[in-house]
Amino acid sequence: METSRLPLSSSIRGKLISAGYTSLSSISSVSSTDLARDVKITESEAFEILKMANQISGSSSCNGRSSSLVNGARNAWDMLNEEEALPRITTSCSDLDKILGGGISCRDVTEIGGVPGIGKTQIGIQLSVNVQIPREFGGLGGKAIYIDTEGSFMVERALQIAQACVEDMEEYTGYMHKHFKASQVQMKPRDILENIFYFRVCSYTEQIALVNHLDKFISENKDVKVVIVDSITFHFRQDFDDLAQRTRVLSEMALKFMKLAKKFSLAVVLLNQVTTKYTEGSFQLALALGDSWSHSCTNRVILYWNGDERYAYIDKSPSLPSASASYTVTGRGLRNSSSSSKRVKMM
Amino acid sequence: MAPLKHLEMENSIIDACFRDFCASHGILTVEDFLLHDLYELAAFAEREANADRLKEGITVMLSLIEVKCRPLLNGMELLEDLQRNKHTLSSGDNGADSLLQGGLREGQLTELVGPSSSGKTQFCMQASASVAEKQDGRVFYIDTGNSFCARRIAQFICGSSDAAALRKRVLSRISCHTVYDIYTMFDTLQGLEVALRSQVQMNVNEYRLRLLVVDSISSLITPILGGSGSQGRALMVALGYLLKKLAHEHNIAVLVTNHTVGAGESGKTKPALGETWKSIPHVRLMLSRDHRNSNCTISILKHTSMPSGKTVRTITRKDNQQCL
Repeated sequence: METSRLPLSSSIRGKLISAGYTSLSSISSVSSTDLARDVKITESEAFEILKMANQISGSSSCNGRSSSLVNGARNAWDMLNEEEALPRITTSCSDLDKILGGGISCRDVTEIGGVPGIGKTQIGIQLSVNVQIPREFGGLGGKAIYIDTEGSFMVERALQIAQACVEDMEEYTGYMHKHFKASQVQMKPRDILENIFYFRVCSYTEQIALVNHLDKFISENKDVKVVIVDSITFHFRQDFDDLAQRTRVLSEMALKFMKLAKKFSLAVVLLNQVTTKYTEGSFQLALALGDSWSHSCTNRVILYWNGDERYAYIDKSPSLPSASASYTVTGRGLRNSSSSSKRVKMM
Repeated sequence: MAPLKHLEMENSIIDACFRDFCASHGILTVEDFLLHDLYELAAFAEREANADRLKEGITVMLSLIEVKCRPLLNGMELLEDLQRNKHTLSSGDNGADSLLQGGLREGQLTELVGPSSSGKTQFCMQASASVAEKQDGRVFYIDTGNSFCARRIAQFICGSSDAAALRKRVLSRISCHTVYDIYTMFDTLQGLEVALRSQVQMNVNEYRLRLLVVDSISSLITPILGGSGSQGRALMVALGYLLKKLAHEHNIAVLVTNHTVGAGESGKTKPALGETWKSIPHVRLMLSRDHRNSNCTISILKHTSMPSGKTVRTITRKDNQQCL
């Protein structure tokens, strides 16, 4: 009974409680006029109550400091400290990690798009393996959700990448063994595959339903640190006649992904296809789903061919400068393209 | 609207008898009373047994309504209010400041329009850093796309002396709130209004809230807009007016971002949210970035006191990032 904590006269407190205002949040969510009407007090009294309720719930949420104006608002200084401690998921390609500021960042929605065969699915699989690298090796020790709309997830390929990842970790332990007694690599490729939760989605209705369900699923499986959607576009490119409705549905879905990313502090990676776009008299390649969709993600990475080499380019990011880096897809997964630096740094 | 019986507590004349008389004429709330023909009502009151009492009730109602009426301001008072309370806040960007003759105006709603990665969020974060650093104001940042980045804001702080302490001081004046749907947005803004009103009453002399940023407002509105119903449009307009009310009453500069949509076949773009929203912002700025040479330009689409169409080149924030 939080209302009893408010410094009020007993008659008003009784009125509040009998009108159903038992918690502070129930009080602070109504306007003073409504409160006055429901509880039958004057508006100025109601305003005083609201003020007290807001002060108390504000101060309890930020340890007695009255720095935030509204409940739930965070101070940028605290956020700065938190941001610096935020883990990032490595892509196993150090050049790519470098332009991404250390890897795919948690709490963000990152969109990765490119032409067919450029390696979008490879990046997806690589990330779902890499998120499981234990904390001792500089990873997150998390689990992955893989939402497959195209049917392009290859489990043999995932196993291959997982094996390579375990081998790399073993090599790294052997290398570091002289300096301190690191534990043996406990992880088996089999465990890695077990911790990839795979959903096959066959229509856009299923996709919407799944996104709505994710919140519950992740609350039950706490360690999920990355959600990969391969690809976000597929079902939305064909079945829709009403484009305005498509925009509405997609932007709502984007907000849900944002909410997930923030709430569980996980990375959301959306893979997207390309389309041609008519601008200034010529056709150019652009990511699918149109202009409105391009605002829906926090970061946007575009993959493209430059001669024979694969390149990634940061098209949009609130915190990173635009830059590009090359990468290759090898049998062992994503790696640097230059042959000189084959070793993957896991620190 | 408030039912008439709530007035009884402070005014005994508006008793059950008076309310019954009103109800017989279809008047249940204050709003009904305002819309009703009062001469007719007075004429009916004459015929009743307790005519004097009823007429007194009507007079009391009218006087109550008069008290609640918004106060009158003449032009001179408005000018004084403008000069005393409505300052311009530097956006931290010289080009934009010169274009806007000083920067963002307090009490006004400024909207940034631009395609994806044209620098809208960068503009918002730079303005937040600038207001918190140079104007000693507090900033409230409503983020809908997880794009608020404290590290990036720290890069915009340009003071040289005692960097760490300054950084802490500036950053703690900026508070960020994440909102993912329009209903939470209304909750947040109402909470903010209550907080601001109580601050005024308590005469708190700490840093005043001077800038409210909503990045981006269009991503909240797009999911509810369109289709057959007009509910979404009503919410959009209500949100716009709530923001403008906050801006006016508490002398806050409000900065919102909006995206662009394609207009016709020609490959041109126009601001999203349509014609209804167009009338809401006081100032509308178009941001664009040329991807080949990464030149950023800002142009005025709508302004309350300046001709539209003026354009200015700004620093390319993307390239500027590393040197700060």
